[in-house]
Amino acid sequence: MIIRFKFSRRGPVRYLGHLDMMRYFQKVVMKAGVSARYSEGFHPHQLMSFAYPLGVGMETDGDYMDLEMEDGNDPETVMDELNAVMNEGVKISAAVALKDNAENAMAAVSAATYELIIDCGAPEEGRKVIKAAVSEMLASDTIMAETKKSSKNIRPGIFALDIEPEENVNDQIKISMFLSSGSKLNVRPADLFDTLLTMPSVAGSGLSFRLSLLRRLEIFGLTEDGRNVPLDHADVL
Amino acid sequence: MIVKAEDRKLALTHEILMSIDKPSRYTGGEPNSVMKDPDKTKVRFVMCFPDVYEIGMSHLGIQILYGMFNSWEDVWCERVYSPWTDLDKIMRDRKIPLFSLESQRPVKDADFLGITIQYEMCYTNILQILDLADIPFYSKDRTDADPIVIGGGPCIYNTEPIADFFDIFYIGEGEVRYRELLDLYEECREAGIGREEFLKRAVAIEGIYVPSLYDVTYDENMRFVSMEPKYDFVPARIKKQLVKDMNEAFYPTAPVVPFIRATQDRAVIEVQRGCIRNCRFCQAGQIYKPVRERSVDYLLDHAKAILKNTGYEELSLSSLSTSDYTGLKRLLEELIDYCSQKKINISLPSLRIDAFSLDVMNKVQDIKKSSVTFAPEAGSQRMRNVINKGLTKEDILNGAEMAFRGGWNKVKLYFMLGLPFEEHEDAEAIAVLCNDIAKVYFDTVPKEERKGSVQITASSSFFVPKPFTAFQWAPMNKPEEFLEKAKITKAAVRAQLNQKRISYHYHDCGTTIIEGVLARGDRRLSASIEYVYRHGAIFDAWTETFSYENWIKAFEETGVDYEDYIFRTRPDDEEFPWDFIDSGVRKEFLLREWKNASMAKKSSNCREQCMGCGCTGFGCGVCVE
Repeated sequence: MIIRFKFSRRGPVRYLGHLDMMRYFQKVVMKAGVSARYSEGFHPHQLMSFAYPLGVGMETDGDYMDLEMEDGNDPETVMDELNAVMNEGVKISAAVALKDNAENAMAAVSAATYELIIDCGAPEEGRKVIKAAVSEMLASDTIMAETKKSSKNIRPGIFALDIEPEENVNDQIKISMFLSSGSKLNVRPADLFDTLLTMPSVAGSGLSFRLSLLRRLEIFGLTEDGRNVPLDHADVL
Repeated sequence: MIVKAEDRKLALTHEILMSIDKPSRYTGGEPNSVMKDPDKTKVRFVMCFPDVYEIGMSHLGIQILYGMFNSWEDVWCERVYSPWTDLDKIMRDRKIPLFSLESQRPVKDADFLGITIQYEMCYTNILQILDLADIPFYSKDRTDADPIVIGGGPCIYNTEPIADFFDIFYIGEGEVRYRELLDLYEECREAGIGREEFLKRAVAIEGIYVPSLYDVTYDENMRFVSMEPKYDFVPARIKKQLVKDMNEAFYPTAPVVPFIRATQDRAVIEVQRGCIRNCRFCQAGQIYKPVRERSVDYLLDHAKAILKNTGYEELSLSSLSTSDYTGLKRLLEELIDYCSQKKINISLPSLRIDAFSLDVMNKVQDIKKSSVTFAPEAGSQRMRNVINKGLTKEDILNGAEMAFRGGWNKVKLYFMLGLPFEEHEDAEAIAVLCNDIAKVYFDTVPKEERKGSVQITASSSFFVPKPFTAFQWAPMNKPEEFLEKAKITKAAVRAQLNQKRISYHYHDCGTTIIEGVLARGDRRLSASIEYVYRHGAIFDAWTETFSYENWIKAFEETGVDYEDYIFRTRPDDEEFPWDFIDSGVRKEFLLREWKNASMAKKSSNCREQCMGCGCTGFGCGVCVE
């Protein structure tokens, strides 16, 4: 059976890369002594996969890991056993068994939500500038994101982009976004942030902005009838 | 209050962390790292391995001391490693003080900075640590606002080149005297006694060496003459401290597990300490004498606990010569049984190749991918007698034949060049030995059974004479001699019938020369080390950052005749700067071995027959078996 775990990571542990995060979870499984299944061969390894690699520096409240286990395990019990040996900063918040024919987590990904905290020397003025840039971005049909390898139009992949009202965040500038992910059109939040900084109102402001926190909130899969639902929702299992 | 690892405020900003390689080298919070309440501990001890995180985290000694210190309620032990060159630059530019991983607080505020000194080529990194921490380089310039800087590890068997940089050296194994030292420190602090008086009192503890309490004299050629205590209460000789019963000593069952892949990324059990072999080139073989084993039951219990507490998927056995461990058969059988159930790999140390080790290797490794390893260290039998390496050509060829019959076809061989009394034909003999092994393969394995062909990989390093070995009197080869010998070996390999099956590599010799100077130098070298550091030397153990020319210039600029330390045969009666250390092994014994080497005369190992080295005085281990 395959169990899908939803996990969060917060604090200093966010500076781990994806491969190190995987190695971390493998050790957690060993420590907990839960009955994971292994590959064949001289150096058997756990059959573990992740929905969406977590970048260095990114926090998450809703990432997913699939683990192949011996049949008959109760997902919630395994979750408790894993949480009992987990490090501070990483926590599993939900566990569900996949149906036999479920898509693997990575293939199922269709979208993700994020929040970004932006540092600016003059937060009040900065907020206005970012707010204007967000509007500029949403108003255009084409937004070209330049990456090292290519340049692509990410506008169709921006499902939502909002700036948090001032009263909720004190001195911080916080934006939230809902972005297309996965094989069709993958919009990376860092690319979107970089592109945001090229908007006319930012460029003309003379202010400098820095990303101080990037947090993924949820990863979604697409149901048969075309809805985006969290990856542990019954309709995408 | 204990701050949780996840709530710690990091010393580096998000922006800095995102701009450097492997930021989690600096963020701490790894599984089994220890957070304590600073208000409820009396001593903050920052333990340092002066190299990059992945190297430092692979070191067993720090894990032992970290676990032991943190098992004491009054002590909080934290870790720090050398910031890599990318962060080093940022910390200098922005004046960010060096911080410990756990609390993320400045190292300068600690009570102790303990530095483990594992190889000579980390000496400039010691200055980097002090520099970034804003601690004066020289002990004499420090005040009560600075931590006590204490050094340990194998390089303290010649402390003198770095003696001026340390307040204390701890001579021997850390498990033994630290409690006494920290008790004294707490006592002094409660009584309002400062660092100077504390250091004077500390020398009453066995194994504690305070370099500033000695005067060193040199002759008209600036050669070392003597080192005398400045006061009556300072001991003239410092006795090595060692654990007498390895089954009673502290061993961590919950070592810190690095998040990023360390060089040694696995659970480790130390099966024994010391070595019976008496190889004449080997410093570890002498300074960790006598060999002391742990019981099989102790090791099994600890292995299981460590695996449980870390989640490691691989276990390795550590010692200088694991084949000599008397309980090896039962230990490996039980470990293989346990680990195969738990899907844990066993990483074998290089074992003496025989029926038993091949059987074990067959069980835990994929024959197709693995190789058998021999360390003859020298090519000819005469040279192996000179260095007292017990392995014979017959052992190697028989072992290889057995391995070939068992299905292996890869052989690795390790050699040294530049050994004392070495001739050109000894360098050629390396090639002949490789060729003979290939021949054994073709004679042993019928053509139709050959899967791929035999691959022989030989590599040689250049020899550095070390203190407390029979070769402490020996001259080193000059760089051109090293390279000439490597060329002879290379040419000889090319002249062999089976040359296509042999690949030969040799290591760089620039590092070797500098290592040689630092290994047998004296206190005058501290100025050279400071000079080279101030002129950009750092991470000298790394080829990409090491500069030979920088070092040679530093010796010249500081008026040190470096050649005098390494290229001459030292007279039998020369006083060495390290003679004040009582390692248990007597100088007369080493001198006798030096003479035996010159006659290519073999000596026995400690189990065959006692050589009378002097270590029986410790009354433990193989000496009392």
